[in-house]
Amino acid sequence: MAKKDLILRLGGEGGEGVISTGDFITSACAKAGLEVYTFKTFPAEVKGGYAMYQVRTSPDRIYNQGDTFDVLCAFNGEAFEVNKHLLKPGTAVVYDYPGGDFEPGELPEGVFGYAIPMTKTAKDMKSLRSKNMVALGALSAIFNISEESLKKVLTKKFQKKGEEILNFNLAAFDKGKELGLQHQKTDPWRVADPQGEKDVIIISGNEAVGMGALLGGLEFFAAYPITPATEVAKYVATHIPKLGGTLFQAEDEIASISMVVGGSYAGKRSMTSTSGPGLSLMSEMLGMASMSETPVMVVDVQRGGPATGLPTKHEQSDLFLAIHGTHGDAPRVVLSVEDVKDCIDMAVDALNIADELQVPVILLSDGSLAFSTQTVPAPKPENYTIVRRKEWDGQGTYQRYAMTEDLVSPMCAPGTPNGMHMATGLEHSESGAPKYSPDNHEMMQRKRFGKIKNVVNTYKPTEIDGEGEADLGIIAWGSTIGVVREAIGRLREEGYKVKGFYPKLMWPMPTEQYEAFAKTCKKILLPEVNFQGQLAHFVRAETTIRPISYTICGGFPFNPVQIVAKAKEVI
Amino acid sequence: MSGAAALHQVQMEPKEYKSEVSVVWCPGCGHHGILNGLYRALAEAGIDPTKLVNISGIGCSSRTPYFIKSYKMHTLHGRAGAVATGVQMARPDLAVVVTGGDGDGFAIGGGHMPHMARKNVNMTYVLFDNGIYGLTKGQYSPTSRPEMKGYTTPYGGPEDPMNPLMYMLTYGATYVAQAFAGKPKLCAELIKGALEHKGFAYVNIFSQCPSFNYLDTVEFYRDLVFEIPADHDPTDMTKAIALARRPNGKAPIGLLYTENKPTLDERVAEFVTRVGGGPDYDINKIINLSRP
Repeated sequence: MAKKDLILRLGGEGGEGVISTGDFITSACAKAGLEVYTFKTFPAEVKGGYAMYQVRTSPDRIYNQGDTFDVLCAFNGEAFEVNKHLLKPGTAVVYDYPGGDFEPGELPEGVFGYAIPMTKTAKDMKSLRSKNMVALGALSAIFNISEESLKKVLTKKFQKKGEEILNFNLAAFDKGKELGLQHQKTDPWRVADPQGEKDVIIISGNEAVGMGALLGGLEFFAAYPITPATEVAKYVATHIPKLGGTLFQAEDEIASISMVVGGSYAGKRSMTSTSGPGLSLMSEMLGMASMSETPVMVVDVQRGGPATGLPTKHEQSDLFLAIHGTHGDAPRVVLSVEDVKDCIDMAVDALNIADELQVPVILLSDGSLAFSTQTVPAPKPENYTIVRRKEWDGQGTYQRYAMTEDLVSPMCAPGTPNGMHMATGLEHSESGAPKYSPDNHEMMQRKRFGKIKNVVNTYKPTEIDGEGEADLGIIAWGSTIGVVREAIGRLREEGYKVKGFYPKLMWPMPTEQYEAFAKTCKKILLPEVNFQGQLAHFVRAETTIRPISYTICGGFPFNPVQIVAKAKEVI
Repeated sequence: MSGAAALHQVQMEPKEYKSEVSVVWCPGCGHHGILNGLYRALAEAGIDPTKLVNISGIGCSSRTPYFIKSYKMHTLHGRAGAVATGVQMARPDLAVVVTGGDGDGFAIGGGHMPHMARKNVNMTYVLFDNGIYGLTKGQYSPTSRPEMKGYTTPYGGPEDPMNPLMYMLTYGATYVAQAFAGKPKLCAELIKGALEHKGFAYVNIFSQCPSFNYLDTVEFYRDLVFEIPADHDPTDMTKAIALARRPNGKAPIGLLYTENKPTLDERVAEFVTRVGGGPDYDINKIINLSRP
């Protein structure tokens, strides 16, 4: 299959315009009707340090960040050095020369080089800040990034700052373009031609969770900042007042989850967002939500752990914590997103399940999705169903924890006449009065666990990629799914019989679906980005499947090439 | 202040605020007096029980919600204030009252106290200060005297106690009062004032624990306290601090300080006005901002 996509990596010092250049290219490609999937890494430092922004674009659907780049744009010497080992024959590199902070010397054999004096040109224009515009113009000219789309994006961005600033930036862009055109194009890399504008949005995983929550009828959010989850709260903070909702910041995660439990008891659809360390702090109150049957939604954007760990890096290592992290036996539902589109749709699902079953629902995202921007069909609010909690009908004596057929008891918010009751973390009777008898505790545990059992049947079935019998089945979760999708495509092209199984409902586990899938595969491979093989552990514990666990935990997601290699090794 | 919808809504007798659950505290416990004060304050402030949410953490005094006719949550140790903040911010129309002890509020829950105060969360916090962990049979607490020999301090406590009034004043509580369980009428008066106050109202109430705190007896408290003179100006922070510091080693009872300033829910509600938000806002306008 001819390669239709292009992967462009920008590297430079944080604060030098690397990120904004990446954003412009991303928006321009999306505007041109292309699919985009971006991947970024930030330094943990506030200023300086190496920042990287990778744009993968194609006329076809893209599932992951790709193996490596085709084109590198090095804004400085460090970016060149960091990526030098990836300059394989056939790749192209654009670098700041002459006048930059380094001399690249001789390029590795087979690498296409384009020297663009970015810093010097910017200096000549008397504004170092225009360096990234020069780079952008050059990249546009060399790699066929639609000039029309880029100029539209730049105009939208700079027009608010005044005509003068806009024109200056466009002039710097044109200078860069001239410099680019002076080179004889020797490499094969070009962005696909514009496909015509599509009805899409371009949005990061964190923003998408916020957008989904708003589409899902969110009313109340208590926040505490934490990398890499803070943009969820930032997005909601910006927009929830427009919808009449409330967001404010708590003093810590113990407080934020407590406030969310309070807000939900008071009758509002409530959530918070965090990362692993915050989820650890929340675990006691999540047990309280299970016990008091209070609907709450928590988004955990996972990062490298334990402790402070790798705050800005990617890992899928909070599955144990999300599923079982509290004392006692406490039911909860855990969902996990694959991509940015899921971040929108499954935030709605998570709020719905929380309200419907009156349990804490944890929505797992991860560090690579947090900042990854992707093109997604523009959501249509009318396509989302909002399921609200079962309300008391006002008949008879109100019993907060009444036994019902589906084991979900009607709720009754403060202010409702005759509905006064106690919501409590103590074991209790149907009325909410403390009750510690052995029979009662067993009955109430059966109620609390029983009510979530059926979610394995009601939630959308786990997707199976492929049909019939296979030599290898690959189970993947979270953002690893997208990598496996592409790997499976490549393996099939090479004639391998491979299938994929992509669970989004992590707990309770749809074990029958796992078993049915495994029956059609000779072997099962389970790649995940954590040290212990956390999903593999649950698969072994809950099913008869004995997967081959394949784990990495270097702070980065898998690349398709790694999965392909491992699959060939184990088949 | 309680939400306007909850305040001066009903005419009920204090005893009508009693729930059907019988009180479980030891005979002679100061908490009985505080509870009576609470019933009277709720009646005098005309709080509609349907719009009252009484929230507690863990401890003897955290059992209070069971005894009061209201909506209620019995939460985790130390978390009453944070949960109450959530209830209040979600539903500013309600009257939100926290009842809890010194260990619950100032030890395990101490991280929340400064923020409720400085943010001026509109609620009433009644702290039953008995200088002991009673429910777990007598360990020293943040307000225990150092000479206290307790369960975990067989040789006496190694720490000096904190001063809850100083703490609340310096963190910005907008209503700070202190009472003694032996004076239920004063308790009622100060709690009523707290319920009517707009903002974070803190009432510290000394309460003897005859079962475990052998030092802080009724007699000790009677000797410790003095009524704040009638000419004290409760809007004067400097004078309030001078009182809180216990002049001549005596603890003031009465209203130390009060101040009128916007509450957290009022300030957050302003954002809605500022962006022209409301139920009719078209969410598509938000989605469209993410178009390339």
